[in-house]
Amino acid sequence: MSSETPPTVPDALVTDAPAADDPEPWLRLHSRMIWVDLARTFLSLTPLALAMWVSGTDSNFVDNLWLFVGIAVFGVIGAGADFVRWVFTRYRITDDYVERRTGILTRKYRSVRRDRIRTVDIDAKLRHRLSGLRVVSVGAGQQASAGEAALSLDAIIEEDAENLRRLLLRDIVRGAPTDVAPEVDDNPDAEKVFATFNPRWVVFNMFNIWAYLMAIGLLWGGSWMGSMFGLDIAGWVAGIADWEALGWTRSAAIALVVVGTLGAIGLGINYFTEYWGFELARVSGEKGTVLRTRNGMFRTREVNRDDNRMRGIQISEPLLWRWMGMADTNVVTTGLEMWSMSQPTAILPRGPKRVAIPVSARVLATDPNPMEAELRPHPGAALRRRLVWGTMIAGVITALLAWLSSNGALPSGSFWYGMASWPVALLGGVISYHALGHAPAGDYVVVRSGTISRATTALQRSAVSTIVLRQSLFQQRLGLKTVGLATAAGWGGYYAIDLESDDALHFADDAAPGLLHPFLVTDPDRKPGDTGNPRQPQGY
Amino acid sequence: MNSIPETGIALRPPRNRIERRAITWWALQSLVFWGIILAAIIATQIFWEAARSWLIAPLVIVSVLLVVGTVVEPMWRYAVHRWETNDEAVYALSGWLVREWRVAPISRIQTVDAIRGPLEQMLGLATLRVTTASSKGAIDIGGLDKEVANEIAERLTTITEMTPGDAT
Repeated sequence: MSSETPPTVPDALVTDAPAADDPEPWLRLHSRMIWVDLARTFLSLTPLALAMWVSGTDSNFVDNLWLFVGIAVFGVIGAGADFVRWVFTRYRITDDYVERRTGILTRKYRSVRRDRIRTVDIDAKLRHRLSGLRVVSVGAGQQASAGEAALSLDAIIEEDAENLRRLLLRDIVRGAPTDVAPEVDDNPDAEKVFATFNPRWVVFNMFNIWAYLMAIGLLWGGSWMGSMFGLDIAGWVAGIADWEALGWTRSAAIALVVVGTLGAIGLGINYFTEYWGFELARVSGEKGTVLRTRNGMFRTREVNRDDNRMRGIQISEPLLWRWMGMADTNVVTTGLEMWSMSQPTAILPRGPKRVAIPVSARVLATDPNPMEAELRPHPGAALRRRLVWGTMIAGVITALLAWLSSNGALPSGSFWYGMASWPVALLGGVISYHALGHAPAGDYVVVRSGTISRATTALQRSAVSTIVLRQSLFQQRLGLKTVGLATAAGWGGYYAIDLESDDALHFADDAAPGLLHPFLVTDPDRKPGDTGNPRQPQGY
Repeated sequence: MNSIPETGIALRPPRNRIERRAITWWALQSLVFWGIILAAIIATQIFWEAARSWLIAPLVIVSVLLVVGTVVEPMWRYAVHRWETNDEAVYALSGWLVREWRVAPISRIQTVDAIRGPLEQMLGLATLRVTTASSKGAIDIGGLDKEVANEIAERLTTITEMTPGDAT
């Protein structure tokens, strides 16, 4: 179902235009931006000047001068463009709309109806922080995958940003009267802090496949900078040990360990700078609440998520680090981008599951915690399905390799690699089977699946729109069905995979009470109360 | 709502079948899709001698898929596909190797459209597309008579307007 166009909500953002003759005056972005741009220009010229001063007219240096020229040109153009943007940008907040005009050659006009606003984020890069400025991003009810924020103001002064956020977030509460906030507090200014920065969690953020990418970046940059000032780092590394005597395998192993360590340290430092001062809190507004995260050392970030839009929570555990209880915690909510690099749905840094679970209970404000619900295991037939699939995939790989080696495209005997993939595929099947689980839990339904990353999702029953039951021929033979719960929030659909057929109907009925009733009949093959199920799979 | 009995219940298929012409529609779709690929492979066979021994396997596979896609799949789909609407829900069954039952409550419907591609226009068919706020929750009912599709679209739109709720 990838071809369908999303519902037409995003179009409405710009099409139903506000009245042009509104008396509300247009505002400029803050003028301090000009000074920031001047400082940026100056700073981006500094490395060039410094390098020229340090190295004089060394020929090696002149060859490499383009980098600093690049930095300077890039910085000056950026600052200049920023200044032009300041000159041509106006915004205003009327009773019904937030409006912004910008652009020189193509005038861009954008308006967002205030009752459509879902999120107001305040972000600050280092230069914004130093100058007391903030970037405000206003998110409206786009589909989760619809891309950019509806409207952003870069930059206004901190105090105005705070006021703007408060003003617009009050609308959120007014704009969604149908839902009840999970938690209503008597004291309107009360803040409930659910989690704060924990330096020990650095362990969870250091080990990652990105470590290698980061290390390679650091090494490349380092050796390049070194060559600039006459240091031969590559040569130094070559001379540090007798690599030829060590042999290819050992050298590679050492390189892997050293590079990995370097990358892990880099990621550790990154964790501290990114999550310094982290705080997850539920903040009461005038009529409702938002879930707020704040974090960052040099670049601060504050994300406010409207509680009225929250539909559930997802905790995912990557396979390789499951032994140490590593977990990513995300809220399932409407109107937030899922693919964004800044991960607005993440409410905790990557950390221990034993903390993530109680935090999720407090965020959902439900008791008992759906995340602690005992999940029903899936029938043994689901394991058989996975083992057969694993065997078939390994078989296809082997056949393909055999065909290629018979053609002479690959060395003969390479099909043994295909054979070797069989046990891996079987193991994957077993892991995947053990990840499966589902259960109704109060107002929520919980589903769990995933091999490489096991994701447990608690989704509000009232958020489920379409129920999808799916059965392949093979699943039919095994007496299995997959239940899909389509929802407007998060990834759009959450799946309970390979349930026993009867159980699938019950779970679908748990997720959307009453929806299936008009379409249910007494099974002609079995009378009610007859427990003998000819297709009942054996217990695992 | 009462909960459903523990055992002995089943989901019945939706009441209405789709038009027989849909068989032709699906067959033409497969013919166009696989036909183009097959033509490309045959053209390569003719003009590039060195590749001939390599292309035997793909040629056989694509030919088999062409036959399956134009004969088996349309007949099978016709036997499976069904749809139904009432005042509370839209219910559709589709698929062949993988069957899919989709039920969407009227209160969650956002848009209802009758869509007609070129092949469908030729055959006087239409696809009814019912979307909800979920990107994965749309229901497509293909192979309806165009009049029937328009009529259902209109009726659903009317019911949707009368049903309260913000459809999210």
